[in-house]
Amino acid sequence: MRIGIDEYAYLGSPLHHWDPRYKFIGLMAVIFAFSFVRDLRMLAVMVTVTAVIYIISKLPFSFWLTRLRYPSFFLMVVVLLLPFVSGHTIIMSIGPLDLRQEGLIAVLLIAIRFVSILTIGLVLFGTAPFLTTIKAMRALGLPAILTDMTLLAFRYLNEIGDDLHKMETSMKLRGFHERRFSRHGLGILAWLGGSILVRSYEQSEWVYKAMIVRGYGHAVHPREEFKASSRDLIALIAILLVAVGFIAGDILCRREAMALLQ
Amino acid sequence: MHIPDGFLPATVCAAGYVVAAPVTWYSLRRINQKENPRADIPKASLLTAAFFVVSWIHIPVPPTSVHLVLNGLLGAVLGYFAFPAILIGLFFQAVMFQHGGLTTLGVNALIMGLPALLSYYIFRLRNITDKRQRIMTGVFGFLAGFVSVGVSVGMFAVILLTSIPADLDVVTERAAIYTLALAHLPLMVIEGVFTALVTVFLWRVRPQLLDNT
Repeated sequence: MRIGIDEYAYLGSPLHHWDPRYKFIGLMAVIFAFSFVRDLRMLAVMVTVTAVIYIISKLPFSFWLTRLRYPSFFLMVVVLLLPFVSGHTIIMSIGPLDLRQEGLIAVLLIAIRFVSILTIGLVLFGTAPFLTTIKAMRALGLPAILTDMTLLAFRYLNEIGDDLHKMETSMKLRGFHERRFSRHGLGILAWLGGSILVRSYEQSEWVYKAMIVRGYGHAVHPREEFKASSRDLIALIAILLVAVGFIAGDILCRREAMALLQ
Repeated sequence: MHIPDGFLPATVCAAGYVVAAPVTWYSLRRINQKENPRADIPKASLLTAAFFVVSWIHIPVPPTSVHLVLNGLLGAVLGYFAFPAILIGLFFQAVMFQHGGLTTLGVNALIMGLPALLSYYIFRLRNITDKRQRIMTGVFGFLAGFVSVGVSVGMFAVILLTSIPADLDVVTERAAIYTLALAHLPLMVIEGVFTALVTVFLWRVRPQLLDNT
């Protein structure tokens, strides 16, 4: 099992070269500004900004499509359900089901916000090695315990995942092919889960000893890992202005809509 | 049971972070009060990764299969480390699998993490007597798994249905919450039984793993 969110971190786009701390602040601001949007007119701007950022990142289109596959299932459920249960203005009837205008608008809003935020998230974590982004988060004030836990958990995720894969293969080779629910099958799967936990626990004792030998827990001299240039700062200011623009634009659009209704 | 990006308004997302921050702070403070807090970090980290991996085990429930939430088991094994562990697990899921979201990380951490801490307190009740430890571990393991998923489903349904930008009437909203709760009842039982079986297994094989509780 391999998790390749940063498989294109080696590309050389301006977003790849942007200081990871500034990139984190800037793109997270855009993500939160997107979640603020409620006016339909702002959605077109959102799609344009998202597309421009993704194109600048030089990440392949296939990467975006692959990453969209899994979460789109949840989105599909909402797209199929909401237009029929939300709102009062019926625009069409399909058999016993009424298609409602408010539900359709809600689906449009949710779907576009969802895809846009997901795309910006891919740019944020796909244009630098994952560990660099975590270090940038640490430099921005993420507590040491959380950083250590995140780095260690990430380091051993693949290894433990491979352990599970091997154990499941061994179980299959020994004839375990549970296709229906049973108390016996659940017990075996619980032992499988328990064994993974025990193995990880035992491994953690060795990891801790190895970390102590390497000086873990002693004060370290802070190292300047990141160095921002004036171009990084200008990019940050520009992207923050975009984020603020979205919030201001949405407020203005909604005020205008309210005034028209009155 | 993770709310994706784009489903909740910014105010609810921000409120999620605002509430999750002090809960994280409180958990880290309790961890720092330990004699040697750093000693537990590798254990908690590897177990965080292990829990993440164990949640990939699919339980066959024809015609489909379900994967477990495991926040009750996390609370039972990790104690106060459960909340940061869930936060990290959800962060991994959002970043690596686009499951859940970055704006909804705080809300999702509360939906999964608060019941995990509740399970920690429930599972600790097994120590009220020294007798019949195996049965007590099983019973309180079941309750930890059952209750945590139940509370998570309740929080998920209420937050999602009351915050989603859709015009749902009260009757539809209530019906949806009840349907979601009823649909998850078998999962709550399976999760309870699975948690009981794993905690009894750990009690027999590696009781130190349950030392936190």
